[in-house]
Amino acid sequence: MTLIALGVTLILLAGLAAAALARGAAIRKGEILFRGLFGAGCVAGAIPALTALSGDTVPEVRLAPTTPFGPWVFGLDALSAVFLLAILSVGAACAFYGLTYLAHERGRRAIGAAHLLLAVLVASLALAVVARAALPFLIAWEGMAVAAYLLVVLEHERREVRRAGMIYVVATHVGTLLLFALFAIWAGGTSDLSFHALAAHPPFSAGRGGMILAVALIAFGLKAGAVPFHFWLPEAHAAAPAHVSALMSGIVIKMGIYGLLRTVVLFGAPPPWWGWVVLVLGAVSGVLGVVWALAQHDIKRLLAFHSVENVGIILLGVGAGALGVAYGHPLIAVLGFAGAALHTLNHALFKSLLFLAAGSVIHATGTREIDRLGGLARPMPATTATFLIGSAAIVGLPPLNGFVSEWVVYQALLRGVSAGDAIQFAGLAVVVLALIGALALACFVKVVGVLYLGTPRHTLATAPHEAAPGMIRPLVGLAAACVVIGLVPIGVVPPALRVGSLVAGLPAGTADVMGTTAAGPATVFTVALALGLAVAWGLYVTLSREGRGGRPVQSATWGCGYPTPTPRMAYTASSFAAPLLDVFRSFAGVRTHRTAQAFATHAVDPVLDEVLVPVWRGVRSTAAWLRHAQRGGLSRYLLWVGAAVVASLLYLLAGGRTP
Amino acid sequence: MTPEGLLALVLLGIAAPAVPGIAVKTKSLLTGRRGPPALQLYADLAKLVRKGRVYSRTTTLIFRAGPIVALVSLIVAALFLPLDGREAPARFAGDMVAFAGLLALGRFALVLAAMDTGSSFEGLGASREVTIATFAEPTMFLCFIALVLAAGDLTLSGILGTPLAAAWPHAGASLSLVGVSLFVLLLAENSRVPVDDPATHLELTMIHEVIVLDHSGPDLALILYGSALKLTLFGVLVVSVLVPRAGFSGPAAVALLFAGLGIVAVAVGVVESVMARVRLVRVPQLLVGAAALALVATILQLR
Repeated sequence: MTLIALGVTLILLAGLAAAALARGAAIRKGEILFRGLFGAGCVAGAIPALTALSGDTVPEVRLAPTTPFGPWVFGLDALSAVFLLAILSVGAACAFYGLTYLAHERGRRAIGAAHLLLAVLVASLALAVVARAALPFLIAWEGMAVAAYLLVVLEHERREVRRAGMIYVVATHVGTLLLFALFAIWAGGTSDLSFHALAAHPPFSAGRGGMILAVALIAFGLKAGAVPFHFWLPEAHAAAPAHVSALMSGIVIKMGIYGLLRTVVLFGAPPPWWGWVVLVLGAVSGVLGVVWALAQHDIKRLLAFHSVENVGIILLGVGAGALGVAYGHPLIAVLGFAGAALHTLNHALFKSLLFLAAGSVIHATGTREIDRLGGLARPMPATTATFLIGSAAIVGLPPLNGFVSEWVVYQALLRGVSAGDAIQFAGLAVVVLALIGALALACFVKVVGVLYLGTPRHTLATAPHEAAPGMIRPLVGLAAACVVIGLVPIGVVPPALRVGSLVAGLPAGTADVMGTTAAGPATVFTVALALGLAVAWGLYVTLSREGRGGRPVQSATWGCGYPTPTPRMAYTASSFAAPLLDVFRSFAGVRTHRTAQAFATHAVDPVLDEVLVPVWRGVRSTAAWLRHAQRGGLSRYLLWVGAAVVASLLYLLAGGRTP
Repeated sequence: MTPEGLLALVLLGIAAPAVPGIAVKTKSLLTGRRGPPALQLYADLAKLVRKGRVYSRTTTLIFRAGPIVALVSLIVAALFLPLDGREAPARFAGDMVAFAGLLALGRFALVLAAMDTGSSFEGLGASREVTIATFAEPTMFLCFIALVLAAGDLTLSGILGTPLAAAWPHAGASLSLVGVSLFVLLLAENSRVPVDDPATHLELTMIHEVIVLDHSGPDLALILYGSALKLTLFGVLVVSVLVPRAGFSGPAAVALLFAGLGIVAVAVGVVESVMARVRLVRVPQLLVGAAALALVATILQLR
């Protein structure tokens, strides 16, 4: 725990250094200090996290109670450790990327403050996962929400950024209020709100237990962005600067998942209905998230909707785990929770990679509309390569990390199929998972194909250029992590199973007895596939060099005899997604504009645009009617006073009693 | 893993180009033509390997990597199928996810190679390919669920091998339905009639053929061989479900597999001769129909 405290302090110091040395000649020194301190802080925090994941226990720290609601406790178990690891690795990548990404804004914005806020965000995230008492947890949670809000509205001169910030801050505070309610209901009248005290609660009545689980699901679902609580997510993630979007999509929404898993740990076995609700939420979020993503043509909104999809996959794992606990299948429970934890880490890695690479594209071209871009693979080879790795990973293709975690979730559900009681029906979620995977493949073929391949679809003001080395290095680091985790499932599945058995409430060491559930052969498979691909590619290159066909001829793309293709003839993202969106049109939230010359689709959010905004408009217009009562004229106020007196007298006359 | 299994794997690789050939020959004979020889694809492959390559100036490395990745993923996928009716060379719990993932990897590579040319025809084909796959993949997993229920095993070796053979006596009806569903899937995944017509000559109407429009020479040979192999792998799935071979001796089981593959190829040819291609907007309905069959097969086994 000392190391974690040291790490958090170093990260905060890094932020302060960047903020203090943000002007003139000191900038260079500030950046070096920021890099050094931030990196050292992340390494210091990662060491105990790795210890905890390897199965050793890390002693807890109890601070003497100086505030009401019991002592402040901090601790680190396998569940905290997997989240801490994701926070520190992705946090470091985003912070380093941000240094270069924001450099050109120097002089126009408070860049130093932005770096400080990012450090505060990472530090509060780290504190939130090690907090073992309600009060420090809520303080860290709120620090995270406020720092994230200030970072979202960094480009506050744009109207849509301010709107997104407002929606975000309302959504996150509704979630925080629900957390206050959660802890209040949970603790009842007791004054000790440390997690030990919460876990040692007397058995709840079915009603109160159900209330706790329902409130937890809404509060943490709101943070995680599960449908129908996702409405703030695409707005905020699209408005923030790229490295902040990466951190929010990669890590901040995962705190909702952390909250749910921690709730299960502290609450004990949840009733079956809770597992079913989580499973259905996961299925709905997964399918709708990816269908809505298909409809987007703004690269950042598209990636944000994919976060909704991946939260859906994670929730399918959580749901399978909860049902495994409820129906007494320990293996399904462990696999479900383990898959959820592993997919959380993996999604953090590849989603931040995709957001950062998208940031480089926006930086280079000045637009987020993928239909305006194309052919970026030539000017931006490194960005393209890393984005391609991230895309293959998020689609769940072997031999990358997305495949490994989806395989664990699949295994949990497939074991449900042959389990023989009501959990069999949960096994049908396998079909949903397959549908999500196939749709995600379609969507990322669209993104990669339209953004990086083919020809430019519009002439840009300036020719696009490759990103600066400071922006490429974090991308390469994240891509390498995706490849390594994909290649050695044996290295990540056993720690994930440890997390799973912790959440499932099984005694420590169960996961080790359970073995690696096929992680060994899976490792052989992924390594063999990677080797096969490498060898085949090597053979192909050597053979074609000495081939009898001679040197390849360069020519134009076959246009069915048409010799001079123009950029306007290139296939667009709208057209690519149209057949699929046609099938899903009843809930795709898409408006189609079709004229003889042009075809375009335009996405609307079914929850935000069609429910929440109209409801708020209604509330506001009703309130505007009330405003007539308060116009500021003295005579009108005197009239109200007179009317009030008359009304009271009439009340008394009619037989009312004096108070 | 028996020696027969290994031999069968090699034979499968050699015999794969004959499977689409038999289908074409059947169609030709049924429609009153002589048609190309059943082994025509071997000659085509030999010719293409010796030819030169033409690359569009728009393309990048992704275009060149596409055929290689697609073929390697199919070859690795073949390792998970129990060709001798008992046990595959590779197996682990949940390896059907790896099998589906490998098919998806091959599709991802080919479709991106198509997008790499910047041609709107190939974009059109790519879009249709992924649309059809969106309905094919859940259907395949629904079939797997029915098989997992029947065989009580989580590996392809189990759900297509010995445990499946043991399950036939009491789950025969359900398994027959799965076989039919897998056959429809075979037609859709391999772009055969009624989903796509490999004999058509208009870019706008094709799906698989249009994706590979710009590939030439050895690259095209790799793709043609890869699609023959993919057809064969789906054929193995169908035959393994409908004709469990664990009870036969090793050589007999392998012989039975290849006889079954021949019958599947003839069946594909018959389907192509008796019906037309359905409209593209109807393809999802066809696949949802196949999924419904698999769902019925699943429900039949829920107790």
